[in-house]
Amino acid sequence: MAAVDSIAGGAVEARADWQALARRAWRTRFTGQSALLAFLVVVSVPILLPYFWMVVIAFTARTGGVASDVLWTACAVIVPAVLIYSVVHMSVGSRRLRLAIGITLVAIAGTLLLALVGGKLHLDNFRFLTRANFVEELRTKATSGRQFPSVWTAFSNSLALALSQTVIILTVASLAGYYISRFAFRGRNVFLQGLLVLHAFPAMTLIIPIFLMLYWIGLLDTIIGVMLVLAAIELPFYVFVMKGFFDGVPWDIEMSAMTDGATRRQAFRLVVLPQVRVGLIAVAVFAFIRAWEEYIFVRTFLIENTNWVMSLYLFWVADDVMGVDYGIVAAVAVFYVLPSLLLYVFCQKYLTQMTIGGIKG
Amino acid sequence: MARVELKNLRKEWLGATAAVAGVDLAIEDGAFVAVLGPSGCGKTTTLMMLAGIYQPTSGEITFDGARVNDVEARGRNVGIVFQSYALYPNMSVLDNVMFPLRFKTIERTEAERRAREIAALVRVDGLLDRRPSQLSGGQQQRVALARALVKRPHLLLLDEPLSNLDAGLRLTMRTEIRRIQRELGVTTILVTHDQIEATTMADRVVVMNGGRVEQEGAADDLYERPDTLFVASFIGSPPINLFEGQADAGVAKFHEATITLSEPVRGPVVLGIRPESLQAAERGTPARVTAAEPMGREVLYTADSAFGVIRFLEAGAEPRHREGDNVHLDFSPASALLFDKASGRRMDARIAV
Repeated sequence: MAAVDSIAGGAVEARADWQALARRAWRTRFTGQSALLAFLVVVSVPILLPYFWMVVIAFTARTGGVASDVLWTACAVIVPAVLIYSVVHMSVGSRRLRLAIGITLVAIAGTLLLALVGGKLHLDNFRFLTRANFVEELRTKATSGRQFPSVWTAFSNSLALALSQTVIILTVASLAGYYISRFAFRGRNVFLQGLLVLHAFPAMTLIIPIFLMLYWIGLLDTIIGVMLVLAAIELPFYVFVMKGFFDGVPWDIEMSAMTDGATRRQAFRLVVLPQVRVGLIAVAVFAFIRAWEEYIFVRTFLIENTNWVMSLYLFWVADDVMGVDYGIVAAVAVFYVLPSLLLYVFCQKYLTQMTIGGIKG
Repeated sequence: MARVELKNLRKEWLGATAAVAGVDLAIEDGAFVAVLGPSGCGKTTTLMMLAGIYQPTSGEITFDGARVNDVEARGRNVGIVFQSYALYPNMSVLDNVMFPLRFKTIERTEAERRAREIAALVRVDGLLDRRPSQLSGGQQQRVALARALVKRPHLLLLDEPLSNLDAGLRLTMRTEIRRIQRELGVTTILVTHDQIEATTMADRVVVMNGGRVEQEGAADDLYERPDTLFVASFIGSPPINLFEGQADAGVAKFHEATITLSEPVRGPVVLGIRPESLQAAERGTPARVTAAEPMGREVLYTADSAFGVIRFLEAGAEPRHREGDNVHLDFSPASALLFDKASGRRMDARIAV
């Protein structure tokens, strides 16, 4: 009997111990997660604030001044809402409840914003979309100095540059990546190292020689010139990325396709390419965005205002000795950032795969 | 269906020793041959040369007497099932099976009919709309088989087709592949490192080692009359007991044991006795049991004897001897094999009765 008692007592003791351990583990996890969340909030503030500023200013600023009161009012509404939701997200287990609270918070914040700053919102700053020479209305003809092109000229130039960039890089990087991944050839290792060195090499140091070369060839101040330069500088990296994706496609599949009667080219097109689809999408998006955001090379190689791209347009809108109209600058910036933002939103699940540089078997 | 012949086939990789160092092999039309060997013995390389993926360094491959060395893989009409199955993940099962017919002048409806027919034969006709990633290992295997067979190949190559399956499935697929091969009568070469796979599925087994053919023959031939020490030790599970000794004028000494041979042999020899040809008896070599391992239907014993450490098998689920028991081990002289140690070849000499 005594032996049984002591065994039972031991079991109870052990159970009590486990509860304490479980509580401690929960506490450690909770403090850890809270600390992480706090840290992430703090570091994301300086990143998010400029975008927030940009959007708010674009829709509220009047010519001549910056209405920072709207910015602070909006912050005062949105920040508590975000904080409340993050606490709710951490502590509420049920998905439906979280969703309901989220929607309620959005509704409350929306109503508050509408009541407090709703009257101050306007689209005046977006008049650049329809008026070509709006800068001359802001400043005198003398200070603006030259005819300002329509924003759509710059937009279509940017689009042409980014799209052609995407096509060139996609074609060359996938073919070259495949070849490097699959074939042994003399100097393959040197070539691979060369690609990395080229990527590490600061292209800015070449800007003057490239300028001179473009001048001699006659491609200075043309979109094609910038396109070629940008593609040449960006390609090594993308070739390397695509090689990584092709490395992830098993040999067996290709051999199988060839014994099934396909030529090497058919095997590449029908069997290998579909498997690196994620890589192709990622490379295409990055190539597009990289060309869309390009500033230094276009600033150097493009001169005529009919050749301006969006980054140059933004620069010339912001550039004025007499002071800047922040409302219009912010509005142009919102317009400029929109395409890359949309691309990121729709393709982000592919983009995260690129850093891994492979595909799942 | 074709008669396949390899003549002194060699494959050398740059800066490495020959992966395949002169293989001669003739495979009759409709035969099922297993190529058995340890990893790195050149069996997969041989297979790849048959498929036309690797170019032989020298030698000749003929299908029905016609040299095919310079025919590309896609022209050889060979079906191949890889160890990884190598299904095309971007296509449905039906498209996978129909893939080889895309490159032939066959109408789509006819191609689909043939694909469905072959899918029914390998019993995947219920899975045709699925993606390979939605299939189990055994189903993927069947699809790969269907894809290899749909073009009615001259030759079917199976590269370790069962090694990624679990034990139960392996057993089923073994009989399935055999059934399908019989039904279609396609010449088939199976590459494997698993002797059970080789002996149960194939009519003839080719044992390869170090890029060469060690021996070829029926499974029982390889087991009872191995030409070389390698074949003797590679075939049979648990492995054969091998004892090194010295022979002089027909008397061989192994460790502490002395044996009279049927012929006046001289020099270093190796004696091989299969664990299953040994039994505990009234008379024979004294031995002391050091371990007993029940294996289900039989028990494997390890014992110390005058020959050295020896293993023997006895039928029955229950161990009859315990650790430390003294037993006498007897074997029929005819079942013992003698090898020349230097060359590794089996000698005609036997143990004298």
